Amino acid sequence: MALKSSENDKRVGWFCAYTPVELIEAAGLRPVRLFGDGADSDEANALLHPATCPYLRACLAAAQRESGPHMLVFANSCDGMRRLHDAWKHFLKPDFCFLLDLPRRVDWAGVGLYHRDLLRLREDLESLTGRAITPGALRRAVSDWEATRRELRDSADGLEGVERVRRAVALQEEGLAWKPGDARGAAPQSGRQGRTSGVPVVVTGNIVRADGLLSLMEEAGCRLVAADICSGDRFFQDLGLNEAELEGLGVDGMLRRLAERYLARIPCPRMVDSRRRHEHLLETVRRTGARGVIYVSIKFCDAFIYDFPRLRAALDAASIPVLMLESDYSDQHEGQLLTRIEAFLEIIGDSMAAGRGQV
Amino acid sequence: MGLAEDLRDKFKNDLSPELLRSRLLWRTARRLARSRWNKPDWRADIVSLSFFLDRTERAFTGKGTVVWANLLFPPELIHAVGACAFYPEMASAVVASLGLAPRFLDEAAAAGFTRDTCSFHRTALGAAAGGFYPAPEMLFSASYPCDSASHTLNYLAEKLGAEYVGLDVPAHPDPVTLDILAGQFEEAALRLGARMGKRESQVLEGLREALVRSNQARSLLLDIGALRRERPCPLSGRELPGQLSMISAAFGTEDGVRFFQMLRDQIVERRGAPSAAAQEERTRLLWMHLRPYYPNGLADWLEERGARVVCDEFALCTWEELDPDDPYLSLARKVAGHFLVGPADRRARAMAALARDYQVDGAVHFNHWGCRQSCAGAPLVRSHLQNEGVPTLILEGDCVDEREYQEGQMRTRLEGFLESL
Repeated sequence: MALKSSENDKRVGWFCAYTPVELIEAAGLRPVRLFGDGADSDEANALLHPATCPYLRACLAAAQRESGPHMLVFANSCDGMRRLHDAWKHFLKPDFCFLLDLPRRVDWAGVGLYHRDLLRLREDLESLTGRAITPGALRRAVSDWEATRRELRDSADGLEGVERVRRAVALQEEGLAWKPGDARGAAPQSGRQGRTSGVPVVVTGNIVRADGLLSLMEEAGCRLVAADICSGDRFFQDLGLNEAELEGLGVDGMLRRLAERYLARIPCPRMVDSRRRHEHLLETVRRTGARGVIYVSIKFCDAFIYDFPRLRAALDAASIPVLMLESDYSDQHEGQLLTRIEAFLEIIGDSMAAGRGQV
Repeated sequence: MGLAEDLRDKFKNDLSPELLRSRLLWRTARRLARSRWNKPDWRADIVSLSFFLDRTERAFTGKGTVVWANLLFPPELIHAVGACAFYPEMASAVVASLGLAPRFLDEAAAAGFTRDTCSFHRTALGAAAGGFYPAPEMLFSASYPCDSASHTLNYLAEKLGAEYVGLDVPAHPDPVTLDILAGQFEEAALRLGARMGKRESQVLEGLREALVRSNQARSLLLDIGALRRERPCPLSGRELPGQLSMISAAFGTEDGVRFFQMLRDQIVERRGAPSAAAQEERTRLLWMHLRPYYPNGLADWLEERGARVVCDEFALCTWEELDPDDPYLSLARKVAGHFLVGPADRRARAMAALARDYQVDGAVHFNHWGCRQSCAGAPLVRSHLQNEGVPTLILEGDCVDEREYQEGQMRTRLEGFLESL
């Protein structure tokens, strides 16, 4: 069951958008986000309870079947992710398995704890590679990732929905090897095409597959004007760091900046301050002229399950209709989901005028 | 008939937020508690009942500043300032024991919380939203043992218009991260103290006293742990509920010390002479996570088969003695050092050590539906225990929602397991 080690494989698998890819890059390794195969996760059930996030089980099942990556960084973002780390480490015995602590607060305590763990990650990466991470290497990695995120944003300018998310996913899978013309990132991977007409809708949620549920939404007649999901638009956010700002700082100082900036991003519902995320979503709806919101929560994701009633209240107060969909990450039951999305689109055709909220 | 049954019959159908705030209810409850019918098998349970009745009455009748907290938040900090600690998760267990959980679970579902989450927290959400829990001024949560508690308390703080303070407990305790956690405790204590009109020096003095009492109770709890290692075990898991709640809620109080003192003394009295109800101890079991709180026959059924739960995951002393002169760092060490913090191999190693210490024949991991931190780590814990030669059964169920209880199925699985031992 154990993964086979390969010295030439420099890939470091990661899972959560709060993972500091820059630090992994500065160690001379290649951060790649793992997505697993949503349709094939049963194999993991013996190692991770079936009532655990299907995304996590899909990643674990893929690792049980495949060889590599042999190095992994898990952010301690939720109970499920922490247990994924535990199961992976215990049952698959990879070469490198790091649990990066991720606080919920973003104040002095949160920054302090996150910074401390970035230092710990640095030490472990240095031990792994046998090479020190220099200030120059880290500065370059930060700068390269910032530039690539900007490039991604520019290349995706004007793109919406599935096409836009595919670009973001490609960057997460390819890392700095990604190029704007990358066919993997730009070309549709299934027969479905993105659309730029239809009822404007913002989709929000955690991990939503571009070629699964998002394609289905477009097929139903949604024009996905924003994809506020952690594998989509949330990954477009840069950290607002430039080389000049990092000039003169040692690795410790730069990691402090990274800690501050990562925690200052629009928060995921796991963070204490979810209100900021709700405000961001409302602003996105207003800016894009969306007629409604589709909230996609992957099954068994506590952060999103607990977030929804609050977000729904905020959307209701702003008379923005919302449809809640639960995804098992395999996006089976397409027919049922399609019917619900189509019904939602029919209703929001006139719901804004009627001032109705949740559908 | 026990007190719980009396209360259930009297108030189940008529329970309302108004009734909970009425002095009549609390007078009646106190009278029942003092009545000749309330003769618990363990004298210490009179102390725990009185402790919880007193706190709950004060909380409901507006006689104290109410602070909500989750299970790993140190009670010493709340008692130090004289606030009234309320534990929604424990309250859910009481609600379940009174047969009231389905009502509140349905209310939580109507508010949009799916049944895929923990029923301890969904019950709390339903009950609190309906005004059945006392209104808090502050809510504290430590980020362990589970995410659900933090999400629930954060949500309810907003809903109830109270202040929420979430504390980030480091998964990797070291001098730097413990210092940061100590700083969070200091901040929390001073904020709560300020609300209650206490100066910093008063907060520190209160903490000093609470930590001294906590250490006294800790020492007694260690004695009880040692006594439970004996064969036959003089205190079975069936007799533990009061102890579990007192560990979470009463450390730092006089009642906490009295409770553990009385319990320890009575166990010593009974050494070698288990109660008449207890059958011969044929199988010693370690029980992980919790058990169903609604009325059920599982514990009796196990005892009838000579299977004694001799150690429980939550009935342990997991921390070193606290330093009353360094309260915040002491509390940080206490919380961050718990085996439920961080990776599951910590918990697995702790369970393996427990199995060895108590010489158990087997272990049962109760998979409470929706408890991600526990269920998702169960295969790993089982793997560790089995490597130690301890057969382990993973038993699916729900501690709070009685509608999910299927005693027949559970008995069949347990029966097969016991036979295999």
